[in-house]
Amino acid sequence: MWLQATLLLLASCVPSSLAIYRDEVNHVDYHHALLGFPTSQSTFFLKPSASSNASLLYTLSEKSLLGAVNPRDGSLVWRQNLSRSDVPAAESNPHGLLRASEGTNALVSALGDYISSWTALDGKLIWENWFEGEVLADLELLELEDASAAPSTKDTVALWSGKAGVVRRLDGDSGRTKWEHLDESGDIPLQLSSSATEVFYVALQPSSRKGYRIKVTSLDPLTGRQTRQHILSSESDLSSTNSVLFVGANTAAPMIVWADQSTKTLKVNVIGTKQVHSFDIENTSGESVSSITVHAPKKLESLPHFLVHYETESTTWAEVYHVDLKSASVTKAYELPRLQGWSVFSTSNKDANVYFTRITQSETTVVSSVSHGVLGRWVHQAPPMEQALHSVSEVVAKDKSVAVRTAAALESGDWQLIRNGQTEWTRYEALSGALAATWVQEAVQEDLAHQLEVEGHESLYGAYVHRVKRHARDLQHLPGWLKGLPKRILTSILTDEVSNLDSFGIVKSVIVATENGRVYALDAAKHGAVSWKVKAAEADSWNVKAILAHPGTATVYVDDGSSVTLDTSSGEILARTPGTAKIRSVAVAHDGTAPRTVGIKDNGTPLESIDGPGFFITLSDDGRVLGWAARDNKHPVWQFLPTSGEKIIHATARPSHDPVASIGKVLGNRSVLYKYLNPNLALITAVGESSATFYLLDAISGKILHSSTHQGVDPTKPISSVVSENWFAYSFWADAVDPSSAKGYQLVISELYESPVPNDRGPLDAASNYSSISDLPLPHVISQAFIIPEPISHMAVTQTRQGITTRQLLCTLPSSNAIIGIPRPVLDPRRPVGRDPTSTEAEEGLFKYNPFLEFDGKWYHTHSRDVAGIKSVLSAPTLLESTSLIFAFGGDIFATRATPSQAFDVLGKGFSKLQLVLTIVALTAGVIVLAPMVKRKQINMIWKST
Amino acid sequence: MHLSLFSLFSLLSASTLATAASAARHLTITIPPSTILPNPNVLPANTHATLTTFTKNTNDDHHFTAPLSRSATFNFHHLPASSQPESYLLDIRSPEYVFAPLRVDVAADGSVLGIWETFRGNPWDNRGAEKFVFDASAPRGGNSGAEEAVMVEAKVLARRGFYEERSKFSPLALFKNPMILMALVALGFTFGMPKLMENMDPEMRAEFEKQSRSSPIGGATRSAMAGGGAPGNFDLAGWMAGATPRPGASGAEAATEGAAATTGREGGGASRRRG
Repeated sequence: MWLQATLLLLASCVPSSLAIYRDEVNHVDYHHALLGFPTSQSTFFLKPSASSNASLLYTLSEKSLLGAVNPRDGSLVWRQNLSRSDVPAAESNPHGLLRASEGTNALVSALGDYISSWTALDGKLIWENWFEGEVLADLELLELEDASAAPSTKDTVALWSGKAGVVRRLDGDSGRTKWEHLDESGDIPLQLSSSATEVFYVALQPSSRKGYRIKVTSLDPLTGRQTRQHILSSESDLSSTNSVLFVGANTAAPMIVWADQSTKTLKVNVIGTKQVHSFDIENTSGESVSSITVHAPKKLESLPHFLVHYETESTTWAEVYHVDLKSASVTKAYELPRLQGWSVFSTSNKDANVYFTRITQSETTVVSSVSHGVLGRWVHQAPPMEQALHSVSEVVAKDKSVAVRTAAALESGDWQLIRNGQTEWTRYEALSGALAATWVQEAVQEDLAHQLEVEGHESLYGAYVHRVKRHARDLQHLPGWLKGLPKRILTSILTDEVSNLDSFGIVKSVIVATENGRVYALDAAKHGAVSWKVKAAEADSWNVKAILAHPGTATVYVDDGSSVTLDTSSGEILARTPGTAKIRSVAVAHDGTAPRTVGIKDNGTPLESIDGPGFFITLSDDGRVLGWAARDNKHPVWQFLPTSGEKIIHATARPSHDPVASIGKVLGNRSVLYKYLNPNLALITAVGESSATFYLLDAISGKILHSSTHQGVDPTKPISSVVSENWFAYSFWADAVDPSSAKGYQLVISELYESPVPNDRGPLDAASNYSSISDLPLPHVISQAFIIPEPISHMAVTQTRQGITTRQLLCTLPSSNAIIGIPRPVLDPRRPVGRDPTSTEAEEGLFKYNPFLEFDGKWYHTHSRDVAGIKSVLSAPTLLESTSLIFAFGGDIFATRATPSQAFDVLGKGFSKLQLVLTIVALTAGVIVLAPMVKRKQINMIWKST
Repeated sequence: MHLSLFSLFSLLSASTLATAASAARHLTITIPPSTILPNPNVLPANTHATLTTFTKNTNDDHHFTAPLSRSATFNFHHLPASSQPESYLLDIRSPEYVFAPLRVDVAADGSVLGIWETFRGNPWDNRGAEKFVFDASAPRGGNSGAEEAVMVEAKVLARRGFYEERSKFSPLALFKNPMILMALVALGFTFGMPKLMENMDPEMRAEFEKQSRSSPIGGATRSAMAGGGAPGNFDLAGWMAGATPRPGASGAEAATEGAAATTGREGGGASRRRG
């Protein structure tokens, strides 16, 4: 009794919080804040404020994320998700548009029917607007020398293509429409171009026979009235709307460029004139030109020079043209040499000077637009650079020398900054499309296990000799170990981490498969740095269903039934199996030693049968739940259909590793409530029009153990669920259905017990075995619901080695971009309602129920990080019982360690070894000094007293 | 009953709105500076406000988001019209700051009918303080044509603390420990008491000694004071019984007396000088 009380007292002394310490940030966790692959037309360097000389790198990515990146270290400054358009992505311009003007601290972006303006420094909204039924085709900032407008803001002219082409001028401060010009001729709106005095609207007019003519309409920028219009006869050259290569946006590049269909001649028109200049394309390689790209400066004051980049299958070259604005003539200035392999070009300005930067596999070169002399050449460090698809660069000229930094978007989906030929940083943007991930299993352990197995199978003497030999072999590591010992002791005192925990499986690398067909390995010891990446898919993209880790290898399962096996230490592809049939998921059967996988077809049927015990549950595409015995893939054992009007949206089961430390729950009066522990639980979520039903099934027999229906549930908002041990939880949005009910997101927790009476095991009482098929007893379910402040899009449970540590419910919060771990004691459905707990309940750790559950800041695993777009959270046990690994992916990548009951088996950072050593030294010194004194005194006393 | 009354009211107001020229379809939420959040401009760019209610048909999602503007406000433009009045829950999502939720009632044409504070986990009809209510009878500012915006202030409730504070080693904290304080007091007695005795007046000391000899505790203290090294001959049983120490056993006492004799001479010298 007393011991119990003491323990409780002790437990109450231990701080109950479990948050991360500030000095553990970046030590126990890492985070890749990603944007997605940058698009070529909406990526640039920009100085956000007129006062500062530092520039940021802006992009609107393929994931519709607008973000600013610090070019110094590649860290994310801010980002906004622009996917708020009502128009489906397929109809609208898939990549959106982003424009900015230097020194105004404003960006204007467009995506679908949504146009918005953001501050460049910190990413806050200036204005936003929707134009229903219209899709933005082009966007320019008006660079007017307008005396009336404040110099700090610039108006936007934008072109919409909907039922008719519309040009609108929007106010730079409020986004209000100043004027609009309607073109109802049915021509296809192409682009806008503006000069100081005119706005040009370029459209394609389908010709009567074939091809398109270019129609240029000039508008007055102040009133929007049409001043003149002319048509360029280009119908023989332009066969489709994509054939126009380039339309310049401002006076620095006021031209329209296209090529004829055989790519033999290049045609250039200076906007506002009717003359078309033709240039022969000098293609001597014998290969046909595969692509032509035009690069022109984007700033108003720069020289009107532009570069045309030609590509064939194996070579690239470029030509630089000068435009004379007065006579509206175009002349070819010089040519950049034809080189083997790929190259990408980018333009940059310094005042009026224009520089072209060329990056090839081996070097970076910078030329001025005026002459072909190379201003700077830097050879890249080995290994040769991966192919880049497009780049942006910033050139700084000092006296005669130049310095350049280039952000190149690589074919693998990464974004790399190269400064004077040196790689400064790489952002692995491809990781934003992570589909599946798993922790690596070390091969070293396997070796020892194998050795032990050999010993187990030999005779007594043989095993003894084997072991002596093995230990003798291990002795060769002794000198090295001894040599490293002083250093280890020293570093262990001085470093933050008290003990090196690598051998406890705390620092585990992660393998991630991304949607662009690549596999990445993230090294947990180096803050999640990429240790290798490899293109594992034969196609450009794949739909990965699962990754399974084996010691030393990992296998990726793709939805076409194929699989790829990789070496986890090097990324080398070890084996491939060809695709068989389209699968919707992969089931894993753990029988004996190696896990076996079975693909599940779209209709829920397993592809093959497995010998031996085992069962799975599958979802079919027609909304049924099927139960299968592993040895029969023809006929399901049972099937489950929800009531009519309901549709199954989710099914979940207990995690494969879900140990239970105690079969009962000890109550305050020392009686025991026995847990209903069924390893074959499945939780099925079915939604109707305004209701949600959660069915708890026994997976062997398909019997419904429990079901609960909630009314007023909105099926379009996130609904998530999880099962573990003897409890399950789910969350949904519920509306007020009657005057007394509340409105908001709810979290429901239910616990399963064998009987409602303590110390009673119900019908199972003395039974050592039970059967799912014949009279399975139903659980006694206790539930409690909480109103929560935010939606939960995904749920998981922390896993530890033995399950002794308290579990946490890991919830992904999509609206505040965070992952929290709610401690299970908070979510105890036995919390007393409407009264304070009695002393026995308090002894159990129960406290009064409150219908509103506010998320405590200490529960935030992501603390102050902005972890966005998470689709899945994984948890894995380590060799330390206190610690559970967490890995989240889908948008950003985030990994951390959770210690739900604090790190009780590890000396934390708070334990200062230095302090301990100093205390011992001080005590020793004290003893050495005081011992003779005491001795002298005692002797004196004896002598003097007698 | 309550609901039906409410919908009746909103229907009425909707009909009056049809005649009124301008309806407040624009909702602006401002964040005033408070003690918890003195400068609302420090809020990160991912802060946003959401209006949520039940979605009846899937192609018309009743969930709206307003990002943080550069003047630290949230703007909902053009609240959508729907077939019936809607009652929205307004939340402000910020990772670090907790804001109070609001209830926003919107008429079928998308104009704001009223805004109240609401309490999570309470019945939805249990409204708190009124922030705004549409007044159909109030005279309008000459129907200026400019869309009227409803402005409400958001209330910051708390700031989340994400981090655990690590207890730091500091010598001052060491002195707050009662064990250390007790040890220090004991140390002070051990070293300070004999010194104090030495500096005492001879008469006073004699009196003190007489007194301590008469009281057993004083005797114990004295014997401890006298050397501390002689607990061996301290008669615990006798002391507990309240007996005076036997003269034969008090060797330590004799030693003290000897010391007192020497110091007494010095003390006497001092008093002579004074006299």
